[in-house]
Amino acid sequence: MSLANLNFFMSEAATNLRRSGMMSFITISTIGIALIMMGAFLLATMNMESFLYQMQAEALVTAYLKPEVSISDAKTLSLRLTSLDEIENIMVVTPEQAAKELFSNPDDQQLMQIGITPEENPLPTTLRMKVKAGTHLPPLLEKLKAEPLIDNFSYGEELFQQFQGLSHLLWVTSLVIVIMLGLASLFIVYNTVRLTLYMRREEIIIMKLVGATNWFVRGPFIVEGFIQGMVGSFLAIIVLFATYRFALGKLAELIPFFTASIGFEQMFKLAAKLFMMGLVLGISGSLLSLRDISRFSKSTPEGV
Amino acid sequence: MIELQGVTRIFPNGVRALNNISLTINPGDFVFLVGPSGAGKSTFLRMLFREDVPTEGKILIDGKDITTMPESRVPYLRRNLGIVLQDFQLLKRRTVAENVAFGLRVVGASASVINTRVQEALEQVGLSHKRRMFPTELSGGEQQRVCIARAIVNNPLILITDEPTGNLDPMISQEIMQLFLEINARGTTVVMATHNHNLVNKLRKRVLALVDGQIVKDEACGTYAYE
Repeated sequence: MSLANLNFFMSEAATNLRRSGMMSFITISTIGIALIMMGAFLLATMNMESFLYQMQAEALVTAYLKPEVSISDAKTLSLRLTSLDEIENIMVVTPEQAAKELFSNPDDQQLMQIGITPEENPLPTTLRMKVKAGTHLPPLLEKLKAEPLIDNFSYGEELFQQFQGLSHLLWVTSLVIVIMLGLASLFIVYNTVRLTLYMRREEIIIMKLVGATNWFVRGPFIVEGFIQGMVGSFLAIIVLFATYRFALGKLAELIPFFTASIGFEQMFKLAAKLFMMGLVLGISGSLLSLRDISRFSKSTPEGV
Repeated sequence: MIELQGVTRIFPNGVRALNNISLTINPGDFVFLVGPSGAGKSTFLRMLFREDVPTEGKILIDGKDITTMPESRVPYLRRNLGIVLQDFQLLKRRTVAENVAFGLRVVGASASVINTRVQEALEQVGLSHKRRMFPTELSGGEQQRVCIARAIVNNPLILITDEPTGNLDPMISQEIMQLFLEINARGTTVVMATHNHNLVNKLRKRVLALVDGQIVKDEACGTYAYE
């Protein structure tokens, strides 16, 4: 494409956007609204992911060893497990220490009623493992399961699995909604471009008569789609992030310990994704409606 | 050179618009295409700029068969043709100069080339002083002259024109015809469909008469009569 052509496309696109103001407004609004909704779902999903990440970072896995395991075996196992990448540190808790912890709390005196006494201690030796931040828990749990000295372990699995399930569900829902909204806005963009195409049919016929290629005719429309996608996504990003900030402020007022869990980098990535989606919507909507430009630009209908 | 070899065009509704036409038009010729409405004149012209293709037969322009030419090559064919139709077909929101420049913009000409060539074309049709006006501010004859300027701005080999004086009064028609004669004198082949008896009879150029899709007359210095 020559510089002269690019200049022509840009000036044509700018003129056409100005002339068909209402159509441009509809297209930009459609792209903007679709992106706000897509962005809102993506934000919710990202927050959930981030929460799950934090949960994992603070995870404490407690492994209960088999009754026959001696303290020295437990310490050997602890040394071996400390070498794992996922483990931050390990504390070996003997049955006596566990019992002391229990009986240091006056409420736990009631435990005696169910057969636990300092003399007759059924508590197993335990390993309390602090997991390194960012560790994905399931592979570590698999390794622990394979240890013959470990009887069982706990890590707040129910809550963890619930959040993981919810996060997965949210991702799938987000994906479905993003695709549906994408298709719906593509359809609207397609139709508005199609309408402007009919409004400019005469111009297209003349372009073809004087020897314009199909791509030359498409050029200004593609630039228009690009500009509409860009403006739509900019507006969406501004509205979405302003609303998000406002919502975070309100939540912080309502819940004293609430803090935003998504960092600047993630927000920037989301903005970049929305921007790209806006461009794809604008350009592909234009391209789709221009696919049959040859048939559309005949100067007279066949048979006349 | 334009060569038609056994060209037939049958529309999907069964109408035979052209029936086995074979003829040759030499470079620099001026050819009038006459005949009653519905005789196939417009179909004939549309075939020449590949707006339509024959059902049977071949059309050769400068030795190249344009009937089998891929769609992607058609724009390059049209850049060597000038096309002027009856209903002016000017862009109302563009100035005279912008309308004429359109033919150069599509080929990616630079701004300086566009300026020079547009000025030359407008001078040829006598409208250089109205380059900044809009088509709606011009008379019918002036609008048709803008179309001619747009058609010749690329220095085409062939000028194809369908009823260029159809909407104009006799005086203006003569002026427009004078322009076509000047363009032809510079070596451009002109093929013109017309109903204007007076001009055809006065100029005594080659006349092809089409009736019911068939050539009924092909005279070197012909008159309008075809019955």
